[in-house]
Amino acid sequence: MQRHLRISGILILAGLLTEVGSLLWSHPACFFVFLILGGSLLLSGMLLFLYYLVSGSGAAAQQADGVREAT
Amino acid sequence: MTATMTGLSAASASTTLLGFLILMTAVLVVLLIAKPGITETLSGKFLAFAGLFLFPLLAGYGGLALHLDHSKRTEFCLSCHVMERYGRSLLLDDRSHIPAVHFQNHLVPREAACYTCHTDYTLFGGFSSKARGLRHFYAQYLGTVPERVELYSPYNNRECLHCHNGSRSFEENPVHSADPGIMASIRSNQLSCIGCHNLMHDIENLEGAALWRETVP
Repeated sequence: MQRHLRISGILILAGLLTEVGSLLWSHPACFFVFLILGGSLLLSGMLLFLYYLVSGSGAAAQQADGVREAT
Repeated sequence: MTATMTGLSAASASTTLLGFLILMTAVLVVLLIAKPGITETLSGKFLAFAGLFLFPLLAGYGGLALHLDHSKRTEFCLSCHVMERYGRSLLLDDRSHIPAVHFQNHLVPREAACYTCHTDYTLFGGFSSKARGLRHFYAQYLGTVPERVELYSPYNNRECLHCHNGSRSFEENPVHSADPGIMASIRSNQLSCIGCHNLMHDIENLEGAALWRETVP
């Protein structure tokens, strides 16, 4: 799970760097770099984090069920 | 001028806010990369949610808004090669040349000169202008730039009247007020402003024409 967090963080950091870089120039190409590259990196980082949340909750619930059955 | 200064102040404030937001997001993300174990506590989980979802979402939205604001700038429009001559036409030393007079005398904001005149002042006019920009981007980088750039539809008087309607020079102009029907025709878009005020850009006659200055200030 921590690996997912790290990867998510790296993707988001890359997206932020792309965003900052694209805002330095006023040019149509910069807008598309932000939208396509930066947006993809940010979105994938956020979605990976959400997946970590969901899968982490699912795993925790399964663990709790296992403990209840054992007791 | 005041509206321009207010606009510049608002733009500076939003840029500063976005910068702060990006910095906060980066700090949180670096912390989570360095110490992912902090998410084992409840407060750590909230921190992770803020750093890996909420703040990036806000930063992305802020970046998009700032980019859309950049797309209104004159330098943005003139950054494409096909627009170079149109940019130079703003510097023509000719008082009958409508875009040049407006640009040189601050009748439109210099930093958003193109957008001010070439945006429909309808409810979604700004949005449709930006959507058209996407088509221009495709033509510039993936398609073919036409030899002659033309408007998609006849220039609507609404765009002129957005500023000129109610102004003394417009209302009391001897030609406009010669006949009550003329004003009514102008306001109803039946008599086009550029039918008489028709010297626009005139890029065909730029060679050798006198310029106010060499570069767009």
